[in-house]
Amino acid sequence: MPRLPRPAAAVLATICAVAGVAACSSSGGGGRPSAAGAHAATVTITAAKGCELNATQFAAGGITFTITNKDATSVSEVELLSGERILGEKENVPAGLGGQFAVKVDAGKYTVYCPGAQQERSTITVTGKAAAVNENVAALLKRGTADYKSYVDTQVGYLVSTTAKLNTALEGSDLKAAQKAYIAARPYYEKIEPVAESFVSGKQNLDADIDARAGDVPASKWSGFHLIEKSLFRDKSVTGMAKWGAKLVADVGLLQQKTKHLSYQPPDLANGAQELLDEVAASKITGEEERYSHIDIVDMANNVEGAEQAFADLEPAVQKIDAELARQISNQFAALGKVLDKYRTTSNSSGYVLYTTLNDADRRALAAAVKAVQEPLSRVAGKVASA
Amino acid sequence: MPNREPTDRERTDSEPTDTSRRLFLGGALGAAGLVAAGGAGFGIARAAEPADANSSDVVPFYGPHQAGIATPAQDRLAFAAFDVTSADRTDLQTLLAQWAAAAAQMTKGQPIGSVETAPDNPPIDTGEALGLPAAKLTVTVGFGPGLFDERFGLAMHRPAALKKLPPLPGDAFEPDRSGGDLCVQACADDPQVAFHVIRNFARLARGTAVMRWSQLGFGRTSSTSTTQQTPRNLMGFKDGTRNIKAESAEEMERFVWVGAETDQPWMRGGSYVVARRIRMLIESWDTDYLADQEKVFGRAKNSGAPLTGTHEFDKPNLIAKKNGVPVIDLNAHIRLAAPVSNSGQMILRRGYSYTDGIDAQTGLLDAGLFFLAYQKDPRKQFVQIQQRLGQHDLLNEYIRHTGSALFAVPPGLHAPGDYYGKSLFA
Repeated sequence: MPRLPRPAAAVLATICAVAGVAACSSSGGGGRPSAAGAHAATVTITAAKGCELNATQFAAGGITFTITNKDATSVSEVELLSGERILGEKENVPAGLGGQFAVKVDAGKYTVYCPGAQQERSTITVTGKAAAVNENVAALLKRGTADYKSYVDTQVGYLVSTTAKLNTALEGSDLKAAQKAYIAARPYYEKIEPVAESFVSGKQNLDADIDARAGDVPASKWSGFHLIEKSLFRDKSVTGMAKWGAKLVADVGLLQQKTKHLSYQPPDLANGAQELLDEVAASKITGEEERYSHIDIVDMANNVEGAEQAFADLEPAVQKIDAELARQISNQFAALGKVLDKYRTTSNSSGYVLYTTLNDADRRALAAAVKAVQEPLSRVAGKVASA
Repeated sequence: MPNREPTDRERTDSEPTDTSRRLFLGGALGAAGLVAAGGAGFGIARAAEPADANSSDVVPFYGPHQAGIATPAQDRLAFAAFDVTSADRTDLQTLLAQWAAAAAQMTKGQPIGSVETAPDNPPIDTGEALGLPAAKLTVTVGFGPGLFDERFGLAMHRPAALKKLPPLPGDAFEPDRSGGDLCVQACADDPQVAFHVIRNFARLARGTAVMRWSQLGFGRTSSTSTTQQTPRNLMGFKDGTRNIKAESAEEMERFVWVGAETDQPWMRGGSYVVARRIRMLIESWDTDYLADQEKVFGRAKNSGAPLTGTHEFDKPNLIAKKNGVPVIDLNAHIRLAAPVSNSGQMILRRGYSYTDGIDAQTGLLDAGLFFLAYQKDPRKQFVQIQQRLGQHDLLNEYIRHTGSALFAVPPGLHAPGDYYGKSLFA
């Protein structure tokens, strides 16, 4: 699978995003004497007094917050809020470290929020007019969710066409061709699985109908990909599979109809990405998903791609809110991609080695790389929910 | 005496006394009224009970030495070793500061951050220790030899004493139970309070470091204070009766705390910890006859007295003979471990009994001693002692060293804002 194009780094990236670097924590208010106080805020966090600001009045436009956490062990982040909306923030500033973040704001009242501090909230007043108002976070999120919808619609379209090909193969007698068609169809489902999981109503459970594994549902109710997988890869037989292929085509068609009418909220993307990674960490890494074909690594790579796409659609907005967090998540996605790349091969039609070639060290490395994405990613939903 | 441990009175005076883990109520509640009673106030509701109710439950976190070494051994242990996976020096520095701040919170009996976050955010603290007392929690962090390789620019700070332990007789290491770039020892009188540290440290480390191995200890096997009884190990014996006691400042200075002799001044006031997972073949031991068990240790099983005495704390007489035969066998554990057999060297033992269920291959119990020993120079102390024990100890028939690690334990953090290894990043 081709790697997704990464959105360009935001223009407003923090000047000094990393914590603890001497130049950051000791540079005071950014050294602009003529505009001191107007565009440079210093936030000093202490156990005794909480979060203190050097000034309460600032000028509209870019404001850089330079943070020093002297000794408040219960505080590790600073946020700038408009109402309850996060405009910008700096995480990972535990006692002893410092850091910076920058925002662009118009006139109004804002809150500097230091969760866990003795004095948690301070109000600042911004006056004047920002020179150029950037595209705001809400607009970026709106575009991101729309982009994600078209991504889902496209992938479901591919799922429909590859499933139709699988069905054609199941109507024939060529086992190799049917196995290949199975492998070709799987990725599209794995990329958007959490979307399908959202369609459980009454007796209808589309995700189970399409993707249940043996034992997930009563044997009499079992259908879908893995029933076909068992026949093709364990029993090495196409016989009798045509009717199951037809049912899969019908179920996938239903999924397409339903997803057409869906719209997404920003936290849905963040939580959906998290669910895809949970899939990797919980069932793919144990080889339970593709227990006959052993193409679990294909599933993993596509779960990860789906997650990365969902995050990529949020990323421009997250960049504005917390450039360092955005950088961290995208670095961890890249690191996870590198781990997966080790298992690419041209000798299988799936593009990846079989799960059965992994050893414990491989599994541990994969799990650690997934968890390294999930931890920072878990903080995204809350930030985009109120934005 | 700048390096001595603070007395209990000094500890109580200098540290907050509230120890109850309370639900974080969030900033919006305006906790001002509640805070007044507790003093420090982190938006946490303070206990309504008398302020001193649990103060004996809190072991001070800040001081010249890290707590958890001279601290009277608590009942439970959770230990973990980590590998740093990021090659970014700033990531490591941030992690060490996050760990220090979190440890300061937890040892006071407080969560590391809010549990009641906004509905769309995961809680900052994992929450399983809410409402539990501080339980004498200590958190002790160490640096493995790997931290001083080329990755983080710390090579010039590497102490000569922090050298991977040489192969020693009796080594039978299992994969994935040895080594590590960082370690954390969490000791408390409540196992959930200790585990809470490991879990939250692992979470804070995500993306920067991964857990390499971990070990729970369910019961202390050492007494490190004259106020404590010597507990029995899983072989049913009192071992370590002659352990260094924290009350002996002279022995602590001589054998445990790194002093002026170090090649790395930043280590002064620190120590070195050797961790060994020592599996006991307890089914075999249980069928050994009493006289042989006592011969192996050199002590009476019931009283704990050396075979040449009548009370536990009687000094073993290593030259006594009966019918021309030494009363304490030449290869008895107490003889070989005695300072006189090791050029006067001693170590501070702080081990815990463990069990990890059964050995899947044999169905036998996987249980034994998770041995932790603190010392000022492992090359002269643990390595010398284990050379002898590993070769000759009668106990070797019943034990296997299945894991091993060495860490430099930096000195204590002096106040909030200080963090592990801070001077190394200056």
